Amino acid sequence: MTVVSALVAGIALVALGGQAVRGARTVDVQLAPRTVHDAAVDDAFYACIDTQAHSLVRPDQPVTLGGTNLADVVTMIKGFGSWLTVADPASTAQVTLTLHDGPGGPGTCLGTTVVATSRGPGGRTVVRVGTGAQVPGQGPPPAPPL
Amino acid sequence: MSTVLATLAGICALGAAGLLPVLVTVGLRWYAVPLAPLAGAVAASLAATASLTFGGPLLDWFIGIAVLAAGAVCGLLVVRPDLGLRAEAPRRRGRGRGRAVDRVAGVVGFLVVVLACIWSLRGLRTPTVGFDARSLWVMRPGWFLHSHAQLLVDLRARNLVLTQSAYPPLLSASVAVAWRITGIHTARLGVTMVAVLDACALAAAALAVVQAGRTVAARVSRAWLPLAAGIAVAALLVVVAAGITEPFLTNGYADPLWSLAAVGAVAFGLQLRSGPSTRAAAVILVLVAGMTKNEGFVTAVALVVLVAARSIGIAGLRGARRRLVTPLVLAGCELAALAWWPVLMKAIHARGATSTFSASQDLANRTDAVAHGFSPYLHVLVLAVPLAVLGGIALRGVRRRVELGNDLWAWLALATGLVAVASALVTGNGAIGPWLLSTAHRITEYPAVEGWWIVGLWAVVAAAGLAGPTAPDGVAAADPTGAPVAVDDPTSDGPAVDDPAVDGLVGAPR
Repeated sequence: MTVVSALVAGIALVALGGQAVRGARTVDVQLAPRTVHDAAVDDAFYACIDTQAHSLVRPDQPVTLGGTNLADVVTMIKGFGSWLTVADPASTAQVTLTLHDGPGGPGTCLGTTVVATSRGPGGRTVVRVGTGAQVPGQGPPPAPPL
Repeated sequence: MSTVLATLAGICALGAAGLLPVLVTVGLRWYAVPLAPLAGAVAASLAATASLTFGGPLLDWFIGIAVLAAGAVCGLLVVRPDLGLRAEAPRRRGRGRGRAVDRVAGVVGFLVVVLACIWSLRGLRTPTVGFDARSLWVMRPGWFLHSHAQLLVDLRARNLVLTQSAYPPLLSASVAVAWRITGIHTARLGVTMVAVLDACALAAAALAVVQAGRTVAARVSRAWLPLAAGIAVAALLVVVAAGITEPFLTNGYADPLWSLAAVGAVAFGLQLRSGPSTRAAAVILVLVAGMTKNEGFVTAVALVVLVAARSIGIAGLRGARRRLVTPLVLAGCELAALAWWPVLMKAIHARGATSTFSASQDLANRTDAVAHGFSPYLHVLVLAVPLAVLGGIALRGVRRRVELGNDLWAWLALATGLVAVASALVTGNGAIGPWLLSTAHRITEYPAVEGWWIVGLWAVVAAAGLAGPTAPDGVAAADPTGAPVAVDDPTSDGPAVDDPAVDGLVGAPR
């Protein structure tokens, strides 16, 4: 009994200790300069498109997320989906928000800008580009772990 | 207000909502501390569901449910004053230094676990927000702060494409409460709130191991051995679990919370000595797991059944009515609370809740792919299985004498969670390769962590085996200093599981 107890306790504690060391190293990866840099760029990008969206629509304004690119719709949801008033059906929206991906430059978020399309007086189409924030560089932002 | 202060305010709000119900049902225990915010998170989840069902602001429902729960437990105390705050074990007979050693072990165990949890959250220094966190878990709180009509649109509108928005609401509702009371609506606050709730679940599960050491110590000659083993194992398990669940522990994902809560529920409900306090802890953790994510819901349902089955036991099956009714009523209430959200999602035709399911025809290949996809994350089973077999053969008597639950309960819980997740992948119709690549790490967190908890509990049992012969029931054993130690579990508050007087959460009058 004592021998088996010592064996079980010894194996368990050694294994737990080894795995704990491994676990601590895994956590330390989160503090690596590369991880910190990627997180900062990711945060800056989404904060940027959020600010641009705020410059285009009010929180109580019915909008729809347009565009044919599913990834862009998901990016918009991630950036400002929490405060948007989504119109249902989409045809009742006052504004359609899309992302325009281009080369990085002033006024863009890693090359991306938020664009609002709406109907102006007389039924003409009005296109406005988001302002108020920019992130230099070329997107997309680094992919976070899934 | 800084994110740190806002997180503190959010957790305090959740803790305040959960404090009284936890104190009355769990008692003045160290593990009640992390359970209070988790119980508050359950209240937030119920508030979100009620808000969607009946209308009205989330915060009003949250406060209403918290007040209702506090009133209910106060009413319970009026009807059953004998329950008290479960502060004093009715059969506590320990005295002198033995009792003091146990209390010191409780304090030391709590501090060690809390420090280990804080250290494990150091990844929060990097402001990472995970993909799913940004697209769902810490985005959806804003929806819960919308009007009722807009919330319905948010959950139903097909052009919002995300089908995961029908997932259970606990995380998002908890973050919404923090956003509402602090006025800070940032993903960063969402991530820190989720991380602290993760740490609470982790601390609760680890404190169950400390509790196991204290329970065992009261029944052996050299009490310091299982006490020290319980504390050391608990600290190591915290670090191990943090390693398994990173980076998701600190980037806002829901998987660590349901996985760690389920592990804690298994520890309190199936591994520790069964008593009203541990069963109340298991109920809270089961609700947290089931209200956090779909995988957690399936696992929680299985855990409800297993905990009820253990509570009923053979005596209940033989017709001891008192032992049958309370666990069944309790399980029914848990299942009703868990089912409320998914039923509501069906009723309102939410995105992701109404899609038609078509099972894959390629079951053999998918099963093989799932087995290969999961195996890199489940290497703990290579250790845990033989260790459990060895312990089950050689240390079964010790385990029974120190009144820890049969190891098979934990293995059943591990297997049901693993099979539930694997079945979804095998029978689903998504491309299995990318699906596994993007999810295998996260959805195997529960069985992987559970495997390590099984190993840890065997270490505590082995320490009991090394600590000398078990004292005869009712006779005080010696503590390391030679002073008598309570034979009854000084922190439990009911008779052992085999005692037919034990019949549920509330327990029998004593």
